[in-house]
Amino acid sequence: MKAALGRSVPVALYLSMILVPLLFAVDRLMFVTGMNPFQAILHLDEHPLGTDAIIFTFVQAILSSLLTLILGLPIAWWLGRYEWKRIGIIRAALTLPFVTPTVVAAMGFLALIKEGGLLDTMGIDLRHETGLIGELSSMIGIEYSGHIIALLLAHAWFNLALVIRFVEPKISTLPPRYEDAFRMLPAGHSRWNRALYFWWPMLKTSIQSAFVFTFIFSFTSFALVRWLAPNMWTLEALMAVEGGAAGIPGYRVDVSQLVLGGATLQGLVLLGALALAGRWQRQQSNEIEIVSEGYLRGYIGTPGKGARLGIFVATVFALAPLVLMVFSSIRIRDRTSESYRWSFDAWDRAFKGDLTYASVPEALTNSLAYALGCLVLSCLLGFFVAQTIHALEEQNKTRLAQLVDVLSMLPLALSGVMVGLGVLLGILKIWPVMFSWYALPILPHAMLTTPFVVRILLPAMREIDSDYDDAGRILGYSAYQRFVLIKLPLLKPQLVVAAALSMAFSLGEFGASWILLRSGAWDTLPVLVDQVMSRPKYFELVEPIAMAIATVLMCMTFLLFVIAERFRTHQGGGF
Amino acid sequence: MSLTIERLNVSFDGRDVLHNLNLKLSSDEIVVILGPSGCGKTTLLRTIAGLQEQDSGTISLLDEPIHDRLCEQRGIGMLFQRPVLFPFKDVLGNILFAYKKKNFQNMDDVHSVMNEMGLIGKEQQSIETLSGGEAQRVVLARILLTEPRLLLLDEPLSALDVDLRRKIALEIRSILKSRSIPAIHVTHDPAEAELIGDRILHWNELQPGGDDEE
Repeated sequence: MKAALGRSVPVALYLSMILVPLLFAVDRLMFVTGMNPFQAILHLDEHPLGTDAIIFTFVQAILSSLLTLILGLPIAWWLGRYEWKRIGIIRAALTLPFVTPTVVAAMGFLALIKEGGLLDTMGIDLRHETGLIGELSSMIGIEYSGHIIALLLAHAWFNLALVIRFVEPKISTLPPRYEDAFRMLPAGHSRWNRALYFWWPMLKTSIQSAFVFTFIFSFTSFALVRWLAPNMWTLEALMAVEGGAAGIPGYRVDVSQLVLGGATLQGLVLLGALALAGRWQRQQSNEIEIVSEGYLRGYIGTPGKGARLGIFVATVFALAPLVLMVFSSIRIRDRTSESYRWSFDAWDRAFKGDLTYASVPEALTNSLAYALGCLVLSCLLGFFVAQTIHALEEQNKTRLAQLVDVLSMLPLALSGVMVGLGVLLGILKIWPVMFSWYALPILPHAMLTTPFVVRILLPAMREIDSDYDDAGRILGYSAYQRFVLIKLPLLKPQLVVAAALSMAFSLGEFGASWILLRSGAWDTLPVLVDQVMSRPKYFELVEPIAMAIATVLMCMTFLLFVIAERFRTHQGGGF
Repeated sequence: MSLTIERLNVSFDGRDVLHNLNLKLSSDEIVVILGPSGCGKTTLLRTIAGLQEQDSGTISLLDEPIHDRLCEQRGIGMLFQRPVLFPFKDVLGNILFAYKKKNFQNMDDVHSVMNEMGLIGKEQQSIETLSGGEAQRVVLARILLTEPRLLLLDEPLSALDVDLRRKIALEIRSILKSRSIPAIHVTHDPAEAELIGDRILHWNELQPGGDDEE
């Protein structure tokens, strides 16, 4: 009884942390608009940009997902089929974009496509749509097609790792005898038939899952849309930019309708997508037997020239924006002579700051403080929520366990901007003074990261053999001693992974922080990048300073992911 | 009597696993219970240790009722089928787990037990590198340091090959006798039972009508 009560407190705290701000925000918006969330969806067209935003959000998300599959599937195939030297390094390079904060990704792509950037030098001007892209643009008759291409490419770049992580293991662990047996049949003689009747059924669930997750990330993309397609609006970008005027009775009611309807529509789409992905993933885990990776690779052998070239191009594609971003921070364009010089002036300015923006040390201090706060809150809550679900499962209270599990996953159906707006509008209503509280951004960061902590810890808890607890009891240890001296050390690898991922996520979080901090004095690194980039570009160092700050953010995030990956690989993490 | 069990009943989901079970153990006696897999041997040991709740009946150790005490307070040692070693500690760290509750002053006892178990020189070894026999020796060393009033052995040798099983069975017997620790050993292997036990009981002798008295 005491244990059940002890467990229900953190779960209740966590659920109220998610639900209270959101419910208050919805209540406020319903009061201002006089309509319920579903009615608000039908009134989205009343906002001048509402309809365009809905159409563009869906179209770009679908196209981005398709492009990601087109680029990612051959890579996953080559990586999964053949024996590669240093496959760990190749895989890490191709996964890097996915762990990159979105602001850094946006800066990286800007460095790639900007005037004087690599693509521009090659005659591909996606920024101002001159030359080849200009001709293409007028041929297809779509305005800002260069921006859209850049956005789609950036989404594909960002999500490439998803296709690789979902599909490659399936290819590399499939027993070769299945394919051999199929080749013997008449239907298996041609390559096309094998792709259609053998590989597609085998890989279908993985490909579908990769598509859905790419769709989710592209659907809620904000920083990339804001910087690569500044004239286009997705629901997420529109809600973020306009959201500040929402929730005020009698003022810009169309904005309140937009936020209420947009968030509801977005939430429904994300919930549906997550439900589909969950279903496909369950199917995937119940399918056929697998063999060790090395077995198939050894069986098929080394890659041919085409595969080598493909992987080389993919690796260059994955790394180029990041490398170019670093270069752009030290390559300064002289406005008068239109020439370039190499200098660390931007780094110097970034670290000193000025009267209009914070310095890197200040922003880094804020970012690290929020990341540490997020780590503590999300790891504590995530641990106890996972512990509760596990305890309920052990007591055969399956339905209750599933309910807590589903509720704990709710934030996955919310985007950064939605959570930020929820906290902004919800907290303001409950306790306005909290809005000026330094630690406020920890709340949305922890809301967004706690489900990941639960997902990392829960499988690990399920895997711990009950014999360990029994052995502790036999040795005379109390429940508390067993928890501290046995259970926590057994979960240490997963706790380190969860802690590192929480910190990394918080460091790079942009949507919610942008909503809550854009008028505040406690800017984080991603918000600082955005602030600096928003300044007029007459001053030649503006862009290089933003690139320098983004480089610092990238290094911090990668460091945390290296720590997480080290523990995940060598000690068996669950996520 | 060292251990007295009277009319012990344990059930899972309404199904009787132990029904009016009786057992008596004299001091420093090693009793082996022989029975087929799934008959309830492990449940009996887990109930004596306090890891499994009982429905009714009494369990007394050294004439003191223990059935209403927590497992942690019974002073009973148990060796599981699979050696349970903590992967985040080396051999010595695992053995010292016996001492976490006490403020021990020197390592003499630890060295003495490790010597007895043939573990000297393996203190810093990772538990992943131990053989099955060595791992069970580490567990036994750890339990002996807690000075148990009764030792329960739940087929701890079942995963070992025949020669090693025989060797370790004899070692366990010798250690228990030298320390006068009473023990219950469950197995389905009659040869192992002959080697280790003072008395061998067949499972059906423990249920009503069965006579477990000498």
